[in-house]
Amino acid sequence: MIYCLNAMNLRARLCVFMMLALVPFLLPSVLCAEETAEPVCIQCHSKMPEKYSQPVTLWRGSIHAENGIFCNGCHGGDPKDAANAMSPARGFLGAPKEPAIPAFCGRCHVGVMKDYLASAHGRMLGKGGPTCVTCHGNHQVVKASLELINEKSCSRCHSFERARVIRAAMQETESTIVAIDQRINAFKKIGTDTEKLEKELFSVRNSFHTLFHNVNVELVKKESARIQADLKKIQVVLDRLDATYQRRKIAGAVVVSFMLLAALALHLLRKTFD
Amino acid sequence: MTLIKKIVDWIDVRVGIREVTEKELTGYLLPRNINAWYSMGSILLFAFALQVVTGMLLLIYYVPDADKAFKSVTSIMNDAPYGWLIRMCHAVGSNMMVLVLLLHMLSVLFMGSYKKPRELNWVTGFVLFTMVQGISLTGYLLPWSQLSFWATTVATNSASAIPVVGQYLVEFLRGSPLVGPPTLGRFFALHVAVIPAGIAALIGAHLFFLKRTGVSTPPFGQEDSTNQWQGDSYRYEGHPGGIPFFPNFALEDLRSVAIYMACFLAVVFFDPYLFFTRDSFIPANPFVTPAHIKPEWYFLANYQTLKIFPNELIGLSLQGAAMTFLALLPFIDRGRERHPLKRPLFLVCSIGGVLLWIGLSIWGHLS
Amino acid sequence: MDSDSSRRTFLGVCLGGLGVIAAAAVSWPLFRYLAPRSGSDAAGKVVIPDADVREGEAKFFEFAGSAAVLVRKRGGDIVAYSAVCTHLGCIVQWEKDKQDFLCPCHAGHYSVDGTVTAGPPPKPLKKLPFSVAGGNITVG
Repeated sequence: MIYCLNAMNLRARLCVFMMLALVPFLLPSVLCAEETAEPVCIQCHSKMPEKYSQPVTLWRGSIHAENGIFCNGCHGGDPKDAANAMSPARGFLGAPKEPAIPAFCGRCHVGVMKDYLASAHGRMLGKGGPTCVTCHGNHQVVKASLELINEKSCSRCHSFERARVIRAAMQETESTIVAIDQRINAFKKIGTDTEKLEKELFSVRNSFHTLFHNVNVELVKKESARIQADLKKIQVVLDRLDATYQRRKIAGAVVVSFMLLAALALHLLRKTFD
Repeated sequence: MTLIKKIVDWIDVRVGIREVTEKELTGYLLPRNINAWYSMGSILLFAFALQVVTGMLLLIYYVPDADKAFKSVTSIMNDAPYGWLIRMCHAVGSNMMVLVLLLHMLSVLFMGSYKKPRELNWVTGFVLFTMVQGISLTGYLLPWSQLSFWATTVATNSASAIPVVGQYLVEFLRGSPLVGPPTLGRFFALHVAVIPAGIAALIGAHLFFLKRTGVSTPPFGQEDSTNQWQGDSYRYEGHPGGIPFFPNFALEDLRSVAIYMACFLAVVFFDPYLFFTRDSFIPANPFVTPAHIKPEWYFLANYQTLKIFPNELIGLSLQGAAMTFLALLPFIDRGRERHPLKRPLFLVCSIGGVLLWIGLSIWGHLS
Repeated sequence: MDSDSSRRTFLGVCLGGLGVIAAAAVSWPLFRYLAPRSGSDAAGKVVIPDADVREGEAKFFEFAGSAAVLVRKRGGDIVAYSAVCTHLGCIVQWEKDKQDFLCPCHAGHYSVDGTVTAGPPPKPLKKLPFSVAGGNITVG
């Protein structure tokens, strides 16, 4: 080894030394302390038998999880203190019994709860009628869409016919809303200030979806016209944005051609000096 | 024309402008076999100037406050007339500048122009390279978007792997334990004042060495492409019988700049968001880490290297070693030969290195 | 040589012309970018009769393309806000019995002063400028 070192020139010796100097630093990497914002509920429940861990798995795929609404947001309790996490003194509510479900979800979803309670579905609460959970699920609640109104779900209690009528009445407006949502997203990805548009669409979408909870076809048809008008206003703004971006692309074509023309002229001028 | 002649005469009798023109422009001779790669430096200078101008214009409306930064950039993009154009020129320009810089470095490597007596040119160029990386990194944070915030968090975190001082270094870079308003403050100062001044100074040095030593002759089309420099005393490497810089090569430089501008403007007008993700347009949220935060394309190889090795320090050290090797290349590669095809070891190492870098970048992009 | 020279002049003139166009193409956006901008939308003020807003009650109307609300507080003071909830954009409702605003989407609550008292809204309701004169309230 020493012989080899002597035989190498200074350059190589320098390289070897640099490599050897690294050896004492081969320490195990220090993992950065991960600051978790998740409540203590998840720490215990995710390790329990399926009956108690399934809610966590289901919740992870929900729109609540996406928006930072954790277990304590609905169930109460202390999200930071494992010993008292499920203490009623800290506001823990447990899992609601069936008749209490609408009030449970309605603590946040106020508008929908009002519409539901006034509807045929709401009047059957506690008498075999559906609750929020019946259609939306309890832990894997996803962004509401017309898919929730389907044969399998509705025919649990009655024929699908009346549900089909309502769904048909809502289909066109729903498609418009989805299309507008996609357009706004496309604009957002290119730096357009879509905050006002996003808020308007959310408001219209919400007032539209909440309509269903009245389960009243006539009401849906009547309100749809108003909602379509609101959507049209949004579409006008989007169309104007489209026109602006189109103009910019044309300007781009002009500018690039101009530059290539300049390059050509410079090239030809250069050639005259040979 | 006589008016112009009168003006030039007036200036000439005071500062000898005609003599300067003769020496620096029309009488400054370049090798006959000079090629387009020699214009890369001019393109870089032009691109840098464009960055400075668009940067200054952005400064008028940008607010370097964590609460207001994102909104000010949104306002530039949506409210200020042509603000979108200035912002996108600046954003696209920074990426193009790094690309041209890499091409410039590669052409110098392959033509062996870093060899003696041009070591100082290479060293100043290397420092410029690191400064451009630094200015890109600091600039990235300024829009204060989710992408800005978290990419900076990841980048500054890599310093934690350094033993003993690592964690303190990270905090020092950030101005606080986590990325926040103090980080924006110092990154803004660096991006807008410190590094540009440094880059300008080093460009000055780089050009001084170039002018003083003389432009190198491309090793192509020569019988003997070895380095003839004796090293006994200073001698300017002239090119008698060569082509004048002005107007001949100046026109070639301008032509190259025009082609660069055509490519640059094509990106700005047709797909400027090539380098943006959805997270670029969501305001920074210190409590929500987006799923796929990746650095810009020119840092992907570094990013992937850190991911490969379980110990971050190894990854960091390897990168440090590679950069040191590159910086000291003229002192390590002392061969006299300059033609790339007559330097087999160099070719293998350099092409291998380039492919490795590209491979790591692609891997980093896909992982 | 002569054809070279005339070609040079021609190309020189061409490039000169291109240069002028380029200078203009750069100057115009530069000027527009730097020029002071006219103030916020001058048009679009909304006038509401004083009598329409009773004490303890709210009047909703449209202002600058979105929902807005006027409230006459108990005690007589008038306040004007954008009725767009700062959370996700739903239109807030006025609760007469509680004298506060409630957003029906996720139960965001705002006091009569527009500040958030409960729920997810991140910011208070945006205040709107208004003036009262001659029995009319002019918003904007």
